[in-house]
Amino acid sequence: MPLDTDSPAVEARLPQRLEQFDEALAVLAQAPSFSRAMRAKRVFDIARRVLLEPGGCQALEHRAAVIDRSGLFADSDWSTPQHLLPALTPLSLGSPDADTVMIESLSELRLLAVAKGDYPHALISAEHAHHYLTQVLALNLPRLFDMTSEAERETQGRLADVPRALFRYLAERIGFEFIIDVMIDEIWRLLEQRPLLTDSIRQMITQIALCQANPEIDLGTSGQGAARLVSSLFGPTQGCREDPGVDVYAERLSAMDIPGLQQEASGMARAMRDIGLVSPYHPVLLRYLLDHNDHLISEALGLSTTGRDCLLCYHQLIKALVDGIAYPATAQAIYGLAMLLERGILYQPPLAPALWRQLALPLSNWSRQRLTLAYGQSASPEARLLEGVLCMLGLPLGVGQGNNPTCQSARALSMWAYNDPDYLLQMVAWAARDDEIVMQFEGQPISSMTSGAGLSTGLSLDLDPVSLLVVPHLDRIYAEMGRLCIDREGDPHRWVNPEFHGWWAGRGFHIIVDVTTGKIEAPETFYRHFYATYHPFYNGNQPLVHPQPAGIAVTDSASRFIGWHAITILRAALGPDDTMRIYFFNPNNDSGQDWGDGVVVSTAGNGERFGEASLPFAQFASRLYIFHLDPQEQGAPADVHGEELADVMGYLRRSWGAERLTET
Amino acid sequence: MEKNTEKGYIALLGWSLGAVEAAENFDRRYVVVAPDWAEEYCTQHNIPYVSWNFERLNDRSLEIAETLRDMGVDAAVPLFEETVEWAGAINSVLMKNPRLHGQAVLFRDKALMKRRAQLGGIRVGIFEEAHEKSDVIRFFKRVNQTLLKLDGDPDDPIHLKAFDKAGCLGHRIIRSPDEIEYISESEYPLLMESHLDGWEFAVEAWVWNGKIQFLNISEYVTLGYSVFVPATPELERYREQITRQIELLIEAFDIRFGQIHPEYFVTNDGTMYFGEVAYRPPGFKAFELIERAYGFNAYQASMLVFDPKATEEEVAAFFPTPLEDAKGCAGCFGVYPRKRVVSRLELPEETEQHPYFDYHELTAPLEATVTKRTAFGTHWGLIFFFGDDPQRMRDLLKHQEELDFYV
Repeated sequence: MPLDTDSPAVEARLPQRLEQFDEALAVLAQAPSFSRAMRAKRVFDIARRVLLEPGGCQALEHRAAVIDRSGLFADSDWSTPQHLLPALTPLSLGSPDADTVMIESLSELRLLAVAKGDYPHALISAEHAHHYLTQVLALNLPRLFDMTSEAERETQGRLADVPRALFRYLAERIGFEFIIDVMIDEIWRLLEQRPLLTDSIRQMITQIALCQANPEIDLGTSGQGAARLVSSLFGPTQGCREDPGVDVYAERLSAMDIPGLQQEASGMARAMRDIGLVSPYHPVLLRYLLDHNDHLISEALGLSTTGRDCLLCYHQLIKALVDGIAYPATAQAIYGLAMLLERGILYQPPLAPALWRQLALPLSNWSRQRLTLAYGQSASPEARLLEGVLCMLGLPLGVGQGNNPTCQSARALSMWAYNDPDYLLQMVAWAARDDEIVMQFEGQPISSMTSGAGLSTGLSLDLDPVSLLVVPHLDRIYAEMGRLCIDREGDPHRWVNPEFHGWWAGRGFHIIVDVTTGKIEAPETFYRHFYATYHPFYNGNQPLVHPQPAGIAVTDSASRFIGWHAITILRAALGPDDTMRIYFFNPNNDSGQDWGDGVVVSTAGNGERFGEASLPFAQFASRLYIFHLDPQEQGAPADVHGEELADVMGYLRRSWGAERLTET
Repeated sequence: MEKNTEKGYIALLGWSLGAVEAAENFDRRYVVVAPDWAEEYCTQHNIPYVSWNFERLNDRSLEIAETLRDMGVDAAVPLFEETVEWAGAINSVLMKNPRLHGQAVLFRDKALMKRRAQLGGIRVGIFEEAHEKSDVIRFFKRVNQTLLKLDGDPDDPIHLKAFDKAGCLGHRIIRSPDEIEYISESEYPLLMESHLDGWEFAVEAWVWNGKIQFLNISEYVTLGYSVFVPATPELERYREQITRQIELLIEAFDIRFGQIHPEYFVTNDGTMYFGEVAYRPPGFKAFELIERAYGFNAYQASMLVFDPKATEEEVAAFFPTPLEDAKGCAGCFGVYPRKRVVSRLELPEETEQHPYFDYHELTAPLEATVTKRTAFGTHWGLIFFFGDDPQRMRDLLKHQEELDFYV
């Protein structure tokens, strides 16, 4: 039977397909929940053919809202688009299973409609969707440039046409020429927050490098800014400029004289300190120096006088640590170690012995299994955990909660790494060795073994090694503490936060929301107390002593309320433009967020240290709903200026307060 | 769907997601009677459910009938060949009519069925029961002698079928005496039939109050491969004769209500030969094809005609007029891999681009080596087509047999 190749027949196909698609979608929308999966199969199959027609992607994008409402994404990971991980898309789009490829593709087209502002979504903002798609494009560059491997063709066959058509369309819609530039900006923006998890950033840089190296791809003028990223990762020094592979580099090192090694050391350090990522060549150098020229280790870590002093004081310990982590698979630990030394926390007496314990720590079977499951076998579980410990101690504000509802636990880990590092090491030892953590709640011991389920039922694996092992315990203990407060009047955070985080969390407590009605109560009093405690102009210019847990009402870019979220207030200080700002830690994986009404959380350029987020004081206050304070240090709430309060009230009224304020 | 509480419950015997979905969207209250492996799914999705393992009828058979009666169930609808006799037994209790069980037994035994049809004045081919190999050899020889074959003429084939299995399961064609050697001992006893050189087709008819309410003719392109609804004009021109045949069948089997699925051959001179009849939904998703072509749900139709509380108006309003009300022609094709070693599923471009192509239910191959088919075997999945012209549909389905879907 001859194929219809004449153009009228081809043109007639799309409307025909769309008619079929709309019918199948309508059947799905009416199906009871139990037969949805069966009905969805037909939708996927027709959608695949629609997508491959000229104009098909566009037609599906226009149907984004209808597709969403039909229940096609229900009961799947795609039903909560705000939690989707870009890093997983290469897998789902490369799957031999057509339905998996299709659900991912349709979700991408749906988010495109969201990103373009055509489809306001309740769970994900346009900006978030745009970020997500940029990252998806970045991670799938080979598909965009049609560099799919033979292996892919073999497993997917003609199914591989689907992701290719999808990406051509996405790139066209988002603007092909600046994808790479946007991506580079995105990478820099993420790196400025110095996250502990760097795998997906590394993947993105790798993809850019591959495109640049391919003579068949014309990037035009875009991609210029990538050179620093690519060279820092793949050719940071003279000795490995052309990315020769770690074995060749090791050979070259053995032939170098002292000045040559010194140059390598300072080159490595410069690259690492510049972007916050460690090249796989770096551990090769460190291991060589450890065995032959250990006086250059300080140089290779790029240490300042503080760090160098620390290193000299604890020479044996540092050498042991370097020996434990100097592998290409755990390269990132080197940056963690350097930052740990720079922080000077080794001078706290318990820390050095606690790290010796960590070096010799026997891991439980469960811990070993989890670490292997999450990170594979490229490094031993012990080295992985040590890498995680060093990174968390060096970069306490790089902790992220992953795709889990465990912001409190992530916040606690970050706070301990920042404020009470030997306590963190104690937690790691208990969790990793004993599979049990015991904490006290008002004198009553609570074990993570006997506590019931936590907030997160199945913890995802997109976590740093320390979180991976400790968070399951903390999550259960936190939930148990909450259960113990069930009969008490008011918000349980009042009692749980100080008991869970540490003695320094203030026992005084203010909340702006009435727990039973959800309405906002006495906002001005709440803000007066907040200003009097935290604002240097009203608290006698007293800098914040300890990091304090606080609760935020998160809003999206349209200022709509999204949910409650746990953060840490780190400090209040004047920013570069002389406005008072609050600097805080957000356990969310990416702190740069648009909370609407001009409230845009900044992560760099306004005096932030790595990992900090910041907002002008009034804007921050307007999203705050819980904070702690020392009852003995209340300041003078009455002195707070009326204009300042009016400013905050305005931000509140224009956002999440709109429906919760009871005007009196 | 809002349930009509003036009517009783309908029990669905056997697990079929399509049937449950239809029941959920129908105004009758229902309960699914299925083996215990379905329990978790039903509980999870709030599907009314009674656990029952359909093995042989035994002393406990009354128990399920009484359980259902006490729940307010008025009728039991069989969904699979294995539950037909159960439905008969249960309905004989629910409707206080012991003859219903005897009737169901007729549907379950192909030899009894043929004999009953013959007694009712219906034309059947030559058939006989076989208990061992020598029976088959004797039958094969006798059939070919009757046809006055000379030595050296190609033999006419005979068909072997299991007594109590649905459709093509256990169906073999014997073309030469040596093929008889390949039948394993475990396949006996079986039914032997002469080959009818006619045009095979199936009918789905819903009977209520002893009368045909809707009669669909499903045309087979190649048995075991493809079927479509409604049939081509070449076959539909026999509709009156076919209706007459079904009425004979209803009389012979004393069918007052229910849905039947008989198969016939029509020879060149227009004579109808009865093949067999089942008292349950046909395989090959023919119900879906009917719904696609006519817009009514065939499972709901069955629930309606089984329900003793159904009214004349309800039944009249439910069914469309055959042919006239068809929105188009729906067909499906069962795919068998043609290569011995396959690595992935890949639909031929021409199939996928055909305007009639609707969708497919094929899955990726689990194993690279394709097991050799004995008998008719089971297809790897179905492909659905929909279009205006039954003749074009027939040619399209026939053409699919020459294509590779697994490469």
